[in-house]
Parts: sequence; structure tokens; C-alpha cells
Amino acid sequence: MAIGVKVLDRPIEDVSYIRATLKGMGLTLKHLFQEKVTVQYPEQKWGISPRWRGTHRMLTTETGKAKCVACGLCPTVCPANCIKLVPGEDEQGNRYPLVFEIDEFRCIFCGYCQEVCPEEAIHVGRHYENSEYSRAGFVYDLERLTSQTHPVCEMWDPEDPKGE
Amino acid sequence: MAEAKMVNLTIEGRTVSVPEGTSILEAAKTVGILIPHYCYHPSLPIPGVCRMCLVEVEKAPKLSPSCATSVAEGQVVHVHSERALEARKGVLEFLLINHPLDCPICDKSGECELQDFTYQEGPAESRLRDPKRFNPVEDFGGDIMYVPNRCILCTRCVRFMDDVAHDTVLNISERGDRALVGKFEGKDLTHAWAGNIVDLCPVGALLSKDFLNKARAWELDRAASICPNCPQGCNIMIEVRDNSIARLKPRPNDDVNKFFICDYGRLNYRWMNRQDRAELPMVRNGANLAVAEWEVAIHSAARLLKDAKPFVLASPMLSNEALFLLTRLLERKGGTGVFRVATGEEAPLPGVEDLALRRDRAANVHGAELLGYTRSENPLADLGADDVLVIADDDLRGMTVEAAARAKGVIVIGTAVPDGLDNISVVLPIANFTEEEGTFTNLRGRVQRFTQAKSPPGQARPSWLVLGDLLGALGAQDSFFLPSDVFADLANARPEFSGLTYDKLGMRGLPVLNAETAGATR
Repeated sequence: MAIGVKVLDRPIEDVSYIRATLKGMGLTLKHLFQEKVTVQYPEQKWGISPRWRGTHRMLTTETGKAKCVACGLCPTVCPANCIKLVPGEDEQGNRYPLVFEIDEFRCIFCGYCQEVCPEEAIHVGRHYENSEYSRAGFVYDLERLTSQTHPVCEMWDPEDPKGE
Repeated sequence: MAEAKMVNLTIEGRTVSVPEGTSILEAAKTVGILIPHYCYHPSLPIPGVCRMCLVEVEKAPKLSPSCATSVAEGQVVHVHSERALEARKGVLEFLLINHPLDCPICDKSGECELQDFTYQEGPAESRLRDPKRFNPVEDFGGDIMYVPNRCILCTRCVRFMDDVAHDTVLNISERGDRALVGKFEGKDLTHAWAGNIVDLCPVGALLSKDFLNKARAWELDRAASICPNCPQGCNIMIEVRDNSIARLKPRPNDDVNKFFICDYGRLNYRWMNRQDRAELPMVRNGANLAVAEWEVAIHSAARLLKDAKPFVLASPMLSNEALFLLTRLLERKGGTGVFRVATGEEAPLPGVEDLALRRDRAANVHGAELLGYTRSENPLADLGADDVLVIADDDLRGMTVEAAARAKGVIVIGTAVPDGLDNISVVLPIANFTEEEGTFTNLRGRVQRFTQAKSPPGQARPSWLVLGDLLGALGAQDSFFLPSDVFADLANARPEFSGLTYDKLGMRGLPVLNAETAGATR
């Protein structure tokens, strides 16, 4: 017994591909003449927000020494416990960090360290290109932190929430 | 003493009843109100110079300094009234005029009274537009340095040196806003108790050179303990950072040391952090000592002691608990227990009765004598040929050890393996007193508890646990689970300690029966 097949009679304007193709081509053609949004990274870079919080940088005094006075506030406030600080004295007898290490893998980039710093020494950077050959390379010591030159984050200001 | 007349008054709406002659400040403390103050300290005379403790007393024309005003019947005191707060805010603003606000680099930050009270009720901003006064940092000799910029001239240090240490070294030099604490010509802070002015200083003006820049106050973990350096038994607080002791501070106890500890005790803490400790149990294997399991080491020690007479060379730094368990070991075969003590010069604090750095330089000399150990200059003289020598935490330093060769075996139960002994059979590593709990008996027979401040290195175990296990392996008794169990056993066995428990001792201690201190209550 043959199985009865019901042939549907569909309107030509619904099943024709010509209209859809033309519609798609039209959209493509429209984008051809629009402004291009693709950024040719890494040759070309997109600017980031002034409040961007990336890997750290330690600012220095005019003599090239780190501004840090080893007060211990950043390791205290750090929610990820990523800052290691051993306070000591420098040659002039000033309070100075003997060891200052930030584990960038542990860091959650909250920016509290920059906010709490009374000397405006430690900053989170406007910087996102991080690569190292080893995991240990992501523990930034004082030398690494002071030698970096990228711009630093401008913190969120409650009186100027839009950063104007 | 006749019963003092009680006075009733109201402080901040709370009724207080205190003996006649008490200051308002002390009366407020009894109901949990801390009136801000700088120059006042309970152990020093009251000069009333800082004006920080001003409170409003009803019907008094002016605000009264609460440290120097005695309580009176029916007085109504307002500590936080608008007038009092305004006055204290003014005082704080004056104190902060020349204060450098260098809290980030100040060692006192976190435990500074100026910081605390400024946060509580001080002005948010300074109105001073002129440059601040500047004076260079000065070395005061001893362990102390002086940062004049931070000084608020409360004169606590001057009064301590004059009235408690009876060694006039400090004064207030210059006048007006140039005033600062100075040293008399040719004098230095070399008094044996001078270090206390660092604790007395309410701000960061007087600093310990030893602790300088080492740690912040809020990073330190604190444990109540007893100073182990002499039989005086001063109460201390051990402050630890990263499992390493950073400093020792006095802990107030009116019956022993008031608020003070001597510089010798304060600075002699480095041995507690020593790194060359015995960390693993060891048993002799031919010519060498080989690392062994705890069970194996305990059992080989027990095998040695099974039939031999023990000869215990104990350290007077051991707790009552450890010394007591060692006497249990001695009782089995009738052995002898001896100890030796290093001595030094006695250094009293003249302003406080019966407080001195004593000649003996070990904490539990009295406890060891009470428990039946003999003090000896040449402790190994009586060591018999068939005895097993048990060295309990004595480092054998400065002592002839040839006699030890006579022994049938040598068991070291100690924090470190002593040098110069080549016939050690077993080493059982124990925790030092900062790493375990226990009690010391001071020279007036006061039993005081100390608590654990840091963790022991490697596999070292508390002394009472090791000795309990050793006695267990000898079939003498069950093991102990807590130091309080050992102390309960001690209280049962020794009439002097009867009735004492850890709970009863609390953190201030109690004297043993028939202690020398008259009037001491149990």
C-alpha cells in the first residue's frame, strides 16, 4: 500500500531565495561603505578608560627611589592577599620596603592598594598586555614595579562619577 | 585594712559605687567608659597637664580634669556632653598643631592613643597654615630613641624615670611650643627598666630601636605568657609576626609586675626564634643518629628506661607540668633529679615593691625546687655508672660533660640537640615555652599560666605530651590529651598545688599553699 504524501502548496514569495539573498547582499554592501570597527591589533590599539585597572606600577621620587614607605596598609587592605611586604630601613635610615612583591596572578585588580596608599606610591596601571615565560615572572618585585612606565589609573572620584 | 567608705555617683547616666578618693576617670573605667587621657597613668603620679580628660560635672563652674578630680557623693558626670566634647576637640587640635601626622611610617600607628582619640572625637581638619615645628630625632641611649616632633609632652616618661625608676635622666627642656623631652647632661637611659617608657608613651615619640620598622601593630598576633628570664615571673604578652616573635610587651598584673618588665626580659627573645632546633625524633643507629617515627623513638627510650635508674638533668625553663611528669619517671626506680641555673646581676625597680630582675636567670627555679629537684653547680657529679641520663632541655653549655660517658644511655628530651655528647641514644624534640601551654611557679610561689604563641618546628611536640607518651610506653599511666589534665594530676599528687586548676588560675595566677607572700588569697 502506497503511503499517501500530502504536497503542500506554498506561496512563491515565501519559498524563493532570491529575495533573501538580495536582502543579505544589501546589508553587506551597506557595511562596505560604513566606518570600519575592526582594530588591527597589535599594530593598532584601542584606547582604554582612564579608570582601567591593570598590572601595578610603583612611582618613584626624583632620585629614582620608590615612593613607598612600607607602611603596610596595602597588604592589610588587599582582599586577595597578593602583596608581600617586609619593612626595613634604607641607607639614610628612612623607613623603606626591603621586600615588596605583588603576585599579579593572585591580584583581582580591585585598586584598593592605590586608594589606600598614603604616599601615592603604588598604582594600578592602564595596561593590559602581560606575558611572561614563567609563572614566577608574574610576581613583580620592587625593581620590576618601579621600572615600568605605562600610564596609571585615575581612580573613580565619588564627586565626579563620570570622570569629566 | 579598714573597709573604705563607698561613694555613689552617676557617670553618663550609670550609677557607680567606688571607694572614697577614687578619681572620676578610674570610676568611669569600672562601668566601661574610657575617658580619653594622655598624661594620666595608673602607676604614675597625677600631674594633670594634658587636659584631655576634661569632663562636665554638674554644679561645677568649669570642666574638671577627671584624672585629678575625686569622686563625691551624688556627683553627676557627663563625659560625652557637648561642652566636654567641644573642649576635648580643642585640646586635640592643639596637640595636633605640631604633630607631623606621619602615621604611615610611625611604629606606634595602630596602637597610638593620639590616633585613637583623634578618630573618636578629634577635629577632621587642621586649621594651621604655618609650617610645623621641627626637631631632629635623638638617641636617648639604651634601646630608646626619641622623635620630638611626635611628642605631646604628657611627661609620662619623665615621671616614670623620676618616681618609679628613681633615676633622674629625663626632663622637659625649653618652654612654650619649643618644649621637648631632654636628657640631663652626661646621662643616658641605661637604667635596667628604662624600656618601659616606650610602652608608657601614648604616641610614637619614644621608640624601641630593636622593634623599629619591624612590624605594624595590627599585623601582630598576641598571646598571654610569662617572662622566662628570671623567677620574678612578670606577666608578658608575646607578639608574633609570621610565626616569629617580634617583641615582648608587659601585661599588667597588680600582684607581680604592675605594668612593667625589665629591659633584659624585653630584649632577650631571640633564642625563642632560633632556627637550629631539634625537629625530628632520632634514635641511635650504629655511629649515627637516624631519624625515626615518634612511636619508635618513644619505645626505644622506654626500653632504655625499663630496668635502669634514671638520672634527670632538667632545665628550670621547663613548665611545672613537664617537671612533674619527669618526677613520675624518677619515682619508678628511685632516680635523682638535678638542675642548674645561670645567674646574673640583680636589678630592682625601686618604685615598685618586690619587683626586680632576679639573680637566677630561669623562670621555674622555684617550681623545680618544689617538685623535688636539687640545684647543683656540677649536676653530673652523682651520675651512676648504670644510670640512664635524661637531659630535659638543658643545653649543656658551659658545663663539663665527660661524666655523661659513664651513663648506660643518654636520652635527650629537648628543643635542640646539645653539643659535645657522642653517646646520645634517643632524641625526643619538644616545643619551647612559646610553643606550648603550661605553668611556671615564681619565686613567691605564684603559679601562673602561659599560652601558646607560635607553632613548634617540624615534628616537635609539647613537652607534657612527649613525657606523657613516654610514661604510657613504660606502662605507668595513660597518655594525656591536654596540659590541664597534667596539671590536674599534679594538683592531685602534690599537696602544695592542691585545689588549683587552670580555670582557677586564670591569666593572673594564684600562689601555692604556704607561699611566702603574706596575705595572698587563694
